[in-house]
Amino acid sequence: MLSRSAERLYWLARYLERTENIARLVNVHMNLLMDLPKGVEMGWLQLVRINAAEQEFREKYNSVNERTVTRFLLTDESYAGSLFSSLIAARENIRTSRDLLPDEAWQQVNEMYLFAKNNLDSIGSRRSRVLFLNEILKGCQRFTGLLSGYMSHHHPYRFIGIGKHLERADMTTRILDLASLLLAESRSDELRQYETILWMNILKSLNALLMYRQHVRSRINGDDVLNFLLLNKNLPRAVRCCLGEIADCVNKLPNHVGLPEKLDELKLTVNAIDTRQTTQLQLREILDDLQNKLGGLHAQIAENWFLRVGVE
Amino acid sequence: MKSIWENYKTEAAYDELMHSEFQPRPVSNRLCQYLNSLNKGDIDKRKIAAELAIMEMGISFTVYSDEGNIDRAWPFDIIPRIIEAGEWRMIEKGLKQRLTALNHFISDVYSEQAFIKAGKMPGEIINSSKNFRKECVGMQPRHNVWANICGTDLVRDKDGVMYVLEDNLRVPSGVSYMLENRVITKRVFPELLQDIDILPIDDYPTQLYDMLVSIAPHQNSKVRIVVLTPGVYNSAYFEHAYLAQQMGVQLVEGNDLIVKNDDCVYMRTIEGLEKVDVIYRRIDDDFLDPEVFRKDSTLGVRGLMRAWKAGNVALANAPGAGVADDKVVYAYVPEMIRYYLNEEPILPNVPTYLCSDKDQLDYVLKHLSELVAKPANESGGYGMIVGPHATHKEVEAFREIIKKDPRNYIAQPTLAISTAPTLCKGKLEPRHIDLRPFILQGEDIFVTAGGLTRVALTKGSLVVNSSQGGGSKDTWIINGEEH
Repeated sequence: MLSRSAERLYWLARYLERTENIARLVNVHMNLLMDLPKGVEMGWLQLVRINAAEQEFREKYNSVNERTVTRFLLTDESYAGSLFSSLIAARENIRTSRDLLPDEAWQQVNEMYLFAKNNLDSIGSRRSRVLFLNEILKGCQRFTGLLSGYMSHHHPYRFIGIGKHLERADMTTRILDLASLLLAESRSDELRQYETILWMNILKSLNALLMYRQHVRSRINGDDVLNFLLLNKNLPRAVRCCLGEIADCVNKLPNHVGLPEKLDELKLTVNAIDTRQTTQLQLREILDDLQNKLGGLHAQIAENWFLRVGVE
Repeated sequence: MKSIWENYKTEAAYDELMHSEFQPRPVSNRLCQYLNSLNKGDIDKRKIAAELAIMEMGISFTVYSDEGNIDRAWPFDIIPRIIEAGEWRMIEKGLKQRLTALNHFISDVYSEQAFIKAGKMPGEIINSSKNFRKECVGMQPRHNVWANICGTDLVRDKDGVMYVLEDNLRVPSGVSYMLENRVITKRVFPELLQDIDILPIDDYPTQLYDMLVSIAPHQNSKVRIVVLTPGVYNSAYFEHAYLAQQMGVQLVEGNDLIVKNDDCVYMRTIEGLEKVDVIYRRIDDDFLDPEVFRKDSTLGVRGLMRAWKAGNVALANAPGAGVADDKVVYAYVPEMIRYYLNEEPILPNVPTYLCSDKDQLDYVLKHLSELVAKPANESGGYGMIVGPHATHKEVEAFREIIKKDPRNYIAQPTLAISTAPTLCKGKLEPRHIDLRPFILQGEDIFVTAGGLTRVALTKGSLVVNSSQGGGSKDTWIINGEEH
């Protein structure tokens, strides 16, 4: 398999995962806001913060509200982290790696892109925005299902797996980073009242509510939710589970030197977390550290497998 | 009934489907019956369905323009073009004959030049050809075949005779559109395709693959084949990716490949370097290897010619094959067929005036307003003039261009090239078409069943190139007797 193709498939998977994550995030956030009383501090800006894009947002928009934030996150082509930009990048990557994927894979992404392109304006109203996001989520799921059913689970599939799970782990840490704010001692009494609803929505944003009920079997509280989303080995969007998936792919690929060690280190870091024993400040440090280590993992992957012209 | 055929004119040129406004040719009877059974709304629906399919399948080509490169959806006309199977068998034979002779000629040009020595062609034509590559002299590709993939353009004149307009022997494109056109037609007219026996075309990628295996430098069981593309900004990138995908081989760009000191070609993979045996290259000779050809090329692979000359890799088409893709050389193809094969040409050439010849040049300059004149080495319909459609000023200007470089210009009578019914704003109107069949030669020789029919969508226009506002149609080869 060509190094160039490995790189493109990896990015294809990352961008599609990002597309799906943004859609999910905005969807859940809308639901949350409908439940919360007006004026609660859990506003739209939090979504921008999760994506570490506050500065860029402020440069482009004068006010923070539902309209500007959703436009920024969903359809703003000039913001590289928006849903539409991610979709464009995914399409560009798959367009240049069609030789490795089933026919339908390209068509699926292309259709999704065309749908988004033709419906960019529809996100203005809540009702049509929900429809838009659902269509995107369905499209991403169809793509995942299509690959798992049509494609040999060989090297190209593994690079897709690595990209997808790395992006997913990264997003989960971001969401938890934000959630950790909710543990802060300084939070208002009003917010405390709605704590359960907030945590439920965090679980929903990672499609983990049902699993939480089944596995944790306790009432919903911050510490348990955090532990579950970081440490669980079976929940697809838990960080520990993503690391396991990445390790499975990595170990089956040739020339994986240096990666198993890096992954073991990451797993140790995650396993050592006990949210019951940590303060909010410590937790933020841990999550920062995790994100840095995920960045390091990406660098090692690029080093091992991607095209470096001029080097033999 | 107010039909979609209303006012359909067939007098100006030979129409492929219709004798006259109301009378289809026998071969298109069934199609016409079927079209008449649809109302206007139905036809519009099919057209919209086709456009949607093209968008979703992402069939596009790139247009270079001042505003940057734009990916355009492939303009497709849903009404197929039909050729009767008996006639097609003759054309197929003629195409095989032609490519065989051309490959003899290229081999000869790079070895003894017996054709020239026998006085069949002035040596000057080869010496002055920019596609003659002296680096290739003495090479012997497998099976002595240089042009493995050829796209030959055919047009039918008013007399009903199919003429060869040109042979594309460098990096001919269009075959993916031929294949996709059929896929779309199957979606749009499923009932019709069930009823009529149309020769299938889907085996092209398999035939291409087999041909590429047959030219591998070694005969081990595992042959590593790649398609070499100039990259995503090339107008035919869609096709490169499509063919690689259909054959299940890798699509590579120049910097995916490297030639090592052992003169072998390797590709950079996740497992390290892997040896490559056959390269279906879609890059022009000029850009193939900066070590030999254009030094500034970043698209090619340094050392590729070394590897090819050492016999470690096969290139399709072979470098230098373009020497026969020259509209001056074209004029000599009938003579090549007689000389190398000792046969009479089955498919006629369009009469061609060579401006390199003093008398012919005089004739061309005098009659330019009646002729089509074109540069000998361009493709894509660039740099040509259609005399009868040009203004007085344009003709004057072109005369000067020819005078400056007569070797590189030829002229031909303006043919009344044939038409076929084409959907224009809900009505059928005749539009001019040509046909590009694809011929593969390695160990065996193969011709696609039909080819890519290109159509000039603008009323009266004779230029069918996609880069110049042309579209395409599905091409059906069917048995006339059955209907």
